[in-house]
Amino acid sequence: MNRFVIVALALCMGASTAVRAESVVILNSEDASYSIVDRATRQEVTRLPLGREPHHLVVTPDGKEVLLASTVTNDLVALDTTNGTQRRVVRDVVDPYQLGYSPDGKWFVTAAYRLDHIDIYRADGFKLASRIFMDGLPSHLTFDVESRTVFVTLQQSNRVVAFDLPTQAIKWVAEIGKAPAGALMLPDDKRLLIALTGEDAVVTLDPATGAVVGRLQTGKGAHQFFPKGDGRHWFLSNRIEGTVSLIDTQDMKIAATIRVPGGPDCMDITADGKELWITQRFLRRVAVVDLAQMKVVASVPVGKSPHGVFILKADAVAPGLPIRAASTETATK
Amino acid sequence: MSGLLEVWIGVQNWIFETLVSPALFHFGLMSWFEPAFNAVEFFMLGVVQIAVIALGMRLLERRWTLDRAGDAGLIGVDRVYTALNKLGVIPLIVFIVAYPVTTEIERQVRVWGVTPPRLEHMLPWLYDHALASFLLYFALYDFAAYWVHRAQHRLSWWWALHSLHHSQRQVTVWTDDRNHIVDDLLVTLVLVIFAQFVGVQPDDYVLILMVGRLIESWSHANVDQGFGWLIVGPRFHRLHHALASADERHIHDHNFAPVFPIWDILFGTAIYDRKARSTGVADKSIDADNGRGWVVQQVTVFGRFLRALLPRGERSRFSRS
Repeated sequence: MNRFVIVALALCMGASTAVRAESVVILNSEDASYSIVDRATRQEVTRLPLGREPHHLVVTPDGKEVLLASTVTNDLVALDTTNGTQRRVVRDVVDPYQLGYSPDGKWFVTAAYRLDHIDIYRADGFKLASRIFMDGLPSHLTFDVESRTVFVTLQQSNRVVAFDLPTQAIKWVAEIGKAPAGALMLPDDKRLLIALTGEDAVVTLDPATGAVVGRLQTGKGAHQFFPKGDGRHWFLSNRIEGTVSLIDTQDMKIAATIRVPGGPDCMDITADGKELWITQRFLRRVAVVDLAQMKVVASVPVGKSPHGVFILKADAVAPGLPIRAASTETATK
Repeated sequence: MSGLLEVWIGVQNWIFETLVSPALFHFGLMSWFEPAFNAVEFFMLGVVQIAVIALGMRLLERRWTLDRAGDAGLIGVDRVYTALNKLGVIPLIVFIVAYPVTTEIERQVRVWGVTPPRLEHMLPWLYDHALASFLLYFALYDFAAYWVHRAQHRLSWWWALHSLHHSQRQVTVWTDDRNHIVDDLLVTLVLVIFAQFVGVQPDDYVLILMVGRLIESWSHANVDQGFGWLIVGPRFHRLHHALASADERHIHDHNFAPVFPIWDILFGTAIYDRKARSTGVADKSIDADNGRGWVVQQVTVFGRFLRALLPRGERSRFSRS
């Protein structure tokens, strides 16, 4: 019933998809749609069709487009990052479940979760350089600061694999713990953090060898990272525990814990740094966390199984800053 | 968001967070996190369906019973089938077996560069008409189910399985789920692959199953009621379960459609009349299913299936009757 109301509302608003700045885009993975939520009113203003099983999104290196990836229809729909207008469709990107650009913008990598392969493209023109089949549900990815290596977690086989980007050869494969998911290369380029969804911890790997060199207890179902923006703190969603941990990566300790029920998953932060928006997969909602109070202050109904989230803003990505590109901030399972 | 939907999602989330996700976490099954959440919804929908059958359909059936001569004791096993199916036990087993097969098919097809279509891409108007979109997918799904049902009757090895469904002499609102587990598996495999091919969305698929199975439960009701050419009702479907006679040797090779009779009308298999007929199968070895429990039925019918796979000349050597 809600669907009809939203469609009617969209029709009343006219056919244009352009929306207000700081509106929020949410991918409804089981509704084949994306929602636009107005940040100010915290209301869903429209819901638009989108391929099939859209899960994740990523901002292009120039910061002008956000690519919404549909895993079953093999396409990327590009929205203008400032007003949400659809600009183009990139086709024939097979099962783009997880996706990301290398910090130098030269490489584009996708993890095909359902089809068990990792695709490495030359970003210019999306020319496929190599497709590597890896059993075990490739799920999350991150890059080193120098754009020489991409690290991919294999959720079902408890492994992480590192690829040399210029040659697309495997550098190492390491078994590191149960159901590795979120991957984050820290700006120092010396510590690779992996969230263990099958456990309640984040492990630190040596990016050169894959050896586990540290462990931080977080919450059950540790899953996905997102930068607070100060280069030191990262948020981490804990899907089973229903919390978000704020990790101090300098001291490797938990600075704060926020209760976010309903299988919290992907996150984005407002341009003013005041709010963290996080999808609540099981509640069909997106939660708004006030970062001054460090608590959920609103929860907005959207479509079924909301996954990727992106807040429209003029400076979506500061090109060349590895801290944003390396965080895989919009690319999570 | 409507209050009812809020309650529904809240209950689903509570069951999942309290019971299911801790178990998945404990047993290292986090790869099944999202499917398990959907399985909880499937279970809840099953509870609703059982309530509708037991509290709604059954009351109507008792009020307007058509055939009062049958043995009510035969119905008990059908309630077991209904509970096992609606509450997800059989579907879980079927899922475990079918999932690798459907996934591998999808993988091969997509590696060849074929992407599953979606009707909305051909008819963008459907994007703005959710009800029309749902009905179109429902009709397509029912079209496929019609042909699967014809195959169940046409192929001797498949009939060996499906005949369990027809062997019930006392057809009631509980009869719809009375199927051999291998029969359930085969039907699911074909229809899931079909649904993927035409682009049925997961949410619509669940709704199609929910609405379709309720209509099918009612179409087995022991009452004389019909919906004409629009929807399959008891009068239409009871004829499909009719006991063959010398005059009507192939009576059950009619009225195959699960939900929309239009397929039978279009393909010449529809019969509309109000003649009173008994139900069951005029074959002693199949009729022997009556009075047996769930386990014995599953075992003996599987034997029937295996014998049907043998060359015709070999079957009599292994015949039990």
